[in-house]
Amino acid sequence: MQALNRHIHPGWLIIAPLMLMVVALYLGPILNILWLSVTDPEPGFSNYAKLTEGDALIRIVWTTVRICIITTLFSVIFGYSIAYAMVHCHQRQKTYMLTLLLVSFWISILVRTFAWLMLLGRKGLVNVTLEDIGLIAEPVAFMRNELGVLIGMVHYMIPYAVLPLLVSMQSIDQRVMDASRNLGASGSQTFWRVYLPMTMPGLVASTLLVFILSLGFYVTPAVLGGGKVLMVAEYISVQLLVTLKWGTAAMLAAIMLIGVLVMLWIMSRFMKLSTVFGGAAR
Amino acid sequence: MHDKQFKKEMLAESAQAFRAGRMDRRTFLALCGASGVAMNAVLAGDAQAAADHVVMWNWGGQSEECHGSAIGEAFTAKTGKGLKFDTSGPLEGKIKEMVDSGNVTADVADADLFNAVSLGPTGHLEPIDYSVVSKEKTLPGYALEYGVSIILYGYAFVYDTEAYGDNPPQNWADFFDTEKFPGTRALYKWANGSLEAALMADGVAGSDLYPLDMDRALNKIQSIKDDSLYWGSGSEVHSMVVNNEVSMAIIWQNRGRNIENDTDGQYKLVNNQAMAMPGAYIVPKGNPAGAAVMEFIATAQDIPAQLALLDCLGMTPSNPEAFGQIPEDQQPYAITSAMNIDKIVYNDPEWWGKNGGDAVNAFLEAIS
Amino acid sequence: MADPTQTGSLQIRNVSKFFGQFRAVNDICLDIRNGEFLTLLGPSGSGKTTLLMMIAGFLDISKGEIALDGASISDVPAEKRNFGMVFQGYALFPHMTVRDNVGYALSVRKRPADEIRNRVDEMLELVQLQEFADRKPGQLSGGQQQRVALARALCFAPPVLLLDEPLGALDKKLRVEVQEQLKDIHRRVGTTFIYVTHDQEEALSMSDRIVIMRDGAIEQVGTPKELYERPINQFTASFLGKSNFIHQNGKVFALRPEKIDLMPGNENAEARMRGAIRNITYFGSMQRIIVDTDEGAEIEVDIDVWRNASDLAEGLRVDLLWKDSAAVELQTG
Repeated sequence: MQALNRHIHPGWLIIAPLMLMVVALYLGPILNILWLSVTDPEPGFSNYAKLTEGDALIRIVWTTVRICIITTLFSVIFGYSIAYAMVHCHQRQKTYMLTLLLVSFWISILVRTFAWLMLLGRKGLVNVTLEDIGLIAEPVAFMRNELGVLIGMVHYMIPYAVLPLLVSMQSIDQRVMDASRNLGASGSQTFWRVYLPMTMPGLVASTLLVFILSLGFYVTPAVLGGGKVLMVAEYISVQLLVTLKWGTAAMLAAIMLIGVLVMLWIMSRFMKLSTVFGGAAR
Repeated sequence: MHDKQFKKEMLAESAQAFRAGRMDRRTFLALCGASGVAMNAVLAGDAQAAADHVVMWNWGGQSEECHGSAIGEAFTAKTGKGLKFDTSGPLEGKIKEMVDSGNVTADVADADLFNAVSLGPTGHLEPIDYSVVSKEKTLPGYALEYGVSIILYGYAFVYDTEAYGDNPPQNWADFFDTEKFPGTRALYKWANGSLEAALMADGVAGSDLYPLDMDRALNKIQSIKDDSLYWGSGSEVHSMVVNNEVSMAIIWQNRGRNIENDTDGQYKLVNNQAMAMPGAYIVPKGNPAGAAVMEFIATAQDIPAQLALLDCLGMTPSNPEAFGQIPEDQQPYAITSAMNIDKIVYNDPEWWGKNGGDAVNAFLEAIS
Repeated sequence: MADPTQTGSLQIRNVSKFFGQFRAVNDICLDIRNGEFLTLLGPSGSGKTTLLMMIAGFLDISKGEIALDGASISDVPAEKRNFGMVFQGYALFPHMTVRDNVGYALSVRKRPADEIRNRVDEMLELVQLQEFADRKPGQLSGGQQQRVALARALCFAPPVLLLDEPLGALDKKLRVEVQEQLKDIHRRVGTTFIYVTHDQEEALSMSDRIVIMRDGAIEQVGTPKELYERPINQFTASFLGKSNFIHQNGKVFALRPEKIDLMPGNENAEARMRGAIRNITYFGSMQRIIVDTDEGAEIEVDIDVWRNASDLAEGLRVDLLWKDSAAVELQTG
């Protein structure tokens, strides 16, 4: 026991049962997915070979990645602006904005999705108004296509983008910006050379969060895409529930998991990820 | 959606607590009341469902109420056993998962007949006991080893009378002809019905559909892809139609009446070449109520139950003896009524059971 | 390196700053000479930092004008004023190396790379941080960070350097050390230093002149010695060093404790006051003695320890003596 203590802090022993439970509950299903992807319906890599047979799966994966990238880009840009406004406005307005932001977390995704249809659909408020004032002759196709999916997803993701950025911006000392101005930097120089780099951990956290959440999305794409925008998450659920091709589903899930891990690995080449997840920046 | 799940889990847990005596009856009733659920419905969710009732697994909503009044009451009168519900939706994957996990909590699933073909041979279903259930009280070919068709629903289409008032579309060929009938179409996303409609539009006779020529069907579907939207649920197509997003839509025919009402007759149902789909009762392997469920299925085949389901849900009887008794005002919306029965075609559950998974994937890949 | 057209004198003309109804700075006039080390000293809320921020350009001036070498800069934005500044807490750029921090001002002015490198080397040598050039601020001690901030602010040779409580975060021992370095650097660069502090010792030891502020206004301006020896009112006298206040004939005099002599017994004819020792506190080099006088006042006396240390005790009757010049008459009201 003494020898053990020398190598392992006794504190670990106290949390060991919890750790083991987390590992079992968390890693277990993941390993099960990986296992399923090489054993169902028969052992081997036949599920992965499907990626090379025909372009359909690759296309679905590519559609997903493309939509997630665009969604992430816009969500983070809007989220950055909103977080910036929240940090720099008066306390009262900030409270209002934070309340609105949090309320939006509690509105069901279906309600939001159908709200967009009412607003931007063929007979939606915007199209009807534009037609009435004579700006357009035919309704603009905002919804039931990829644009619709992007609008819906960006809208859903913005609050998720804002929160990490807000935390990051709030921790910045305003005097550092003053110092930059004092040293002769213009507003845009200060932004690009000081503010942006200093909020980079928040920006990366926000990007990762939104991108990874977007990968698992399917209610919004299914409805706002008019059935034509098929994302991996929806395809996986169809394979699980309807066509019973669990091996295919597991393979796609594994691909997504590996994709995310590779992305994290690449980012870790460029920066200390610990700063993104709240560790000390050194 | 999560709310519902949470409520359900909370109630299931409290049901166990109540049984085990850890929660008093009043608290439990209050919880049920707060969640808007009848107590017996909650208790049914328990894995220990005794043989004094059968548990029906369906999609909830109106069909819970209708199954209760149309079949449950007669079943209770006949056998003294009750009817309870699990409304989480018996998708094929969920049935498979339930049986594989060994924790079977449902006795009968309100599913499609092709599910019986795909899940039966893999050992996930109980065979139907045809000494209790009648093969004569359904259409020929719809009484299979692992499932029997209780009702029929159909894939028909509605069109916008304002768009095509003088020269309305009359068949699937018109539905797929976007030159003669310009406008956006809505098709069913899970391939069913959409594939058959495409083949008929391309000139295949209704009696020669199976085996489906997938390439030909998908070509036809893709030919109008730019003018098409695809729906995944009844409420979705309903909203597409009432919001005037589409000029024509393939719909479940029992929705025809609602759509005609909700659009004040702007949209009209066309039953010509409508495809009859056998909705079936299937029994998960190792169901808690055992053989008692066969009595329930037999009750559902009786003419009063059949007519009550039509009246309540708009699902058409599959028992040929009931066809003649369909009331006048239901006839336009009932697929096997005298008015429609000569115009319809029949789905082949064998083909779908064996090829459905690949067909759905091929369809999804073609439309995305 | 310094721009010869800018010599670094500042003229502050009737400057006020209002925050709503509150006057943070109230009608201040002050001439700051080229190359001097001027300290704004006052308790918190006295307006010293507000005045500094107006000079830096971070706060708008509500009324009045600030001029550099006679030309108004009231409307010049902060980034165009070319004043160096050392912030409270240093405000270093945490994501840049020491070298990039120091070279920032030149880099945003788009100077050639080798000019920047040379100048940064020069600055790092000035603050003796050559070997830390490639570290990040987070890897430096507080004193080192303070020097980086100084080098960064001086790198572009500003005519005026503003320092906002730059030593506030350092411990006392280090502070004295840095004070000397600061003074030395001031001598070497010749830039006008405007230094804000609430620490009177810092002000006394470093400044050429001190401005004592209270409630947004200037109480008194002068060299450390002038202020210490000739405070004009009770506030100045008590804020800068310790002081006894003696009321005589409707007048008030300030009397520094170390300027009072104390004799045991009651027989000294030149005694200004008589009384008894209430308390003795020993400080090593000196002892502080509190005397209750017969007039009912309380007088503090600082006595060097080597003098008659042994015969003083609590309760002992003593005479208090001082020279006429030691008592400074104060303005009242």
